[in-house]
Amino acid sequence: MSQVDFTDPATIAELTAALEAAGVDGLEIERPTQGVRILLARGRSPIVDRTAEDRSAVVPASFVAVKAPMAGEFLSHDISRSAAPEDHPQEVESGDVIGFVKVGPILLPLAAPASGQIVRHVAEHGAIVGFGDPLFEIEPRS
Amino acid sequence: MIEVIETGPFNTVQDLGRPGYRKIGVTASGAMDPLGLKLGNLLVGNAPGAAAIEVQTFPFRLRFTGAVVFTVAGADCGAGLDGHPLLALCTYVADKGQVLDLGQPRTGARAYVCVAGGVDVEPVMGSRSTSLRGAFGGNDGRYLRVGDTLSLCAATDGHRARAGISVVDPAFALSDHLPVSDDGSLLIRALPAGEHDLFGNDADRFWTETWKISSKSDRTGYRLSGEPIRPTTPVEMRSHGVVPGVVQVPPGGEPIVQMSDANTAGGYPKIAGVIDADLWRLGQARIGSRLRFVRATHREALDVERAMARFLEDVRVTSAMVTRALNIMA
Amino acid sequence: MNASLAMPTSSPAALQLTRVGARVSAIGARAFLLEALGEFDLASQRRIWALSRAVEAWEDLSEIVPGMTNLLVIFKDIPEDPEPVVTRIMEAWEGAQSIDLDGKTIEIDVCYGGEHATDLAALCDRSGLSDREVVRIHYEATYRVFAVGSAPGFGYLHGLDPRIYMPRKTVPSINMARGCVTIGGMQTGVAVLTGPNGWNSIGFAELQMFDPSSPTPAIMAPGDTVRFVPVRVEL
Repeated sequence: MSQVDFTDPATIAELTAALEAAGVDGLEIERPTQGVRILLARGRSPIVDRTAEDRSAVVPASFVAVKAPMAGEFLSHDISRSAAPEDHPQEVESGDVIGFVKVGPILLPLAAPASGQIVRHVAEHGAIVGFGDPLFEIEPRS
Repeated sequence: MIEVIETGPFNTVQDLGRPGYRKIGVTASGAMDPLGLKLGNLLVGNAPGAAAIEVQTFPFRLRFTGAVVFTVAGADCGAGLDGHPLLALCTYVADKGQVLDLGQPRTGARAYVCVAGGVDVEPVMGSRSTSLRGAFGGNDGRYLRVGDTLSLCAATDGHRARAGISVVDPAFALSDHLPVSDDGSLLIRALPAGEHDLFGNDADRFWTETWKISSKSDRTGYRLSGEPIRPTTPVEMRSHGVVPGVVQVPPGGEPIVQMSDANTAGGYPKIAGVIDADLWRLGQARIGSRLRFVRATHREALDVERAMARFLEDVRVTSAMVTRALNIMA
Repeated sequence: MNASLAMPTSSPAALQLTRVGARVSAIGARAFLLEALGEFDLASQRRIWALSRAVEAWEDLSEIVPGMTNLLVIFKDIPEDPEPVVTRIMEAWEGAQSIDLDGKTIEIDVCYGGEHATDLAALCDRSGLSDREVVRIHYEATYRVFAVGSAPGFGYLHGLDPRIYMPRKTVPSINMARGCVTIGGMQTGVAVLTGPNGWNSIGFAELQMFDPSSPTPAIMAPGDTVRFVPVRVEL
């Protein structure tokens, strides 16, 4: 998979246009060696903050974090098709859909990357989340 | 390619139909739930009117003979890929040899299997829809059978469809514009048509009665059963053009709503015309279910049409943007 | 002028405009039917042909469906306000002069009688004519295609001799063959699909009326002249 160069103004412009189209106010992309944060201030030029320092994981190595694939509204369930569940499932199988990020009418299902136990619900249902924000922490079943 | 490995008797290839040929007697055909078809196509990066498989008799199973992005739109029929349950209206990548199966719908009546690129059958008179009446178009002008194979068109340039893109339920998105009854009956909005007033008091009853969709209903039309309604005096009509949504009343007094495979001409007195924006909801109504007609105004028909167009445009723009952004970041 | 235009108010009434000679009503929000109120005759149909020509030039038009002394006008989009649209259709009707279409002449070879003439005997009973007379009256007339519709390429033919008018059957034939030469009320035509059919069959024609792969799929067009040629009579 090719790496995206966040120092390229064309890439920034593309991402910025996409954000505006979605009505999203900001985006943060992190890579081990490179990161970018775009904040849209309505009516002003986007504020772009590039960082290049090494970033280290914040989650304990044994846990798996589920991060937002994109900026949007975090949903613990598909509000358009089902009522709120009584309580959050704790035991999940790899591939189970454990939540969604909603961007306008589009839903991005969040699949559990591993079987195990959800040890932390980081985001509240309805919270606005940024790209890469941790949403869940899963302790994989050994 | 797609290979049909199990099918009910009445499943076809459909797009948005071939309007424009009614004047030579050719039914427009097209998806019974055009909104579902459009949403499915937009998610996989197709033009809204790309051809798909309309499944109205279940179970249905197909095998993908190559990797392709697809989604199942319309009725929620507990679809599974190699046995793994799929979300409704969500894109997935099928690998070569994987089997998609659709079970009895939990809600709705018709599901659409939309694949990136769309189903490639020879267009006839500008459409890939199956014309059952004319026995042309679609897959040889007939219902799909076990063993049929369908080619796929190349996916749209510049759009790399990907898995994991879903859309909110259209009934949720449009809830401000959809009437809901308190007894579970489907409420279908219609405008009075030419012979409405000739039905006298029965015209009022048409709007208040709860009608049942009879088993003699298909893509051509829905026959409704209930207390018959009749004009106050017999009406002699000359044959005239009709469109899907027209509600005709044959001598027996039980109305018929013409649907996607509507005859191009008719001569029964017509009491009402269902607004276009509610035809997809009728297309998802099941045989045996109940409905009432709600008398709408032209303005309401226009407002809900525009709300639907806005929703579709929002889905088109946002799904393309999200897909592009995720592709960049992948 | 006797005009009445009822518009939806709080309790919506049927949108309808009736003037001398014609009526316009709605089917849904973007289809409108103009019906000529006069006789079912060639003069009325000629005016429908003229109206069709005028309406076909409208940019907001999706399609038209000419029927029997009527015209269905389908717009691309739901009009902002239906009232001016209904008025526009009515005014186009009022301005439509009777025209005669420059149609072609189609000769159709027919085998009268035989296995496909399932309703010839009933027609003889009703008319009091012999089968030979019924057949001769049918092929001696010259017909005009009033409209094409109902089934792909089916032409409604006007010009049937009143002596052989025959109402449609109350119980349709379950599986009438494509090609059957039929009489339905005061019209005649050639069945283009095999299937249920309420018209009365008196013969059979081989001519294929519809080819979906052709740039002009329907052989018949409104205004065409049709003659039936008796190539065989099996009585």
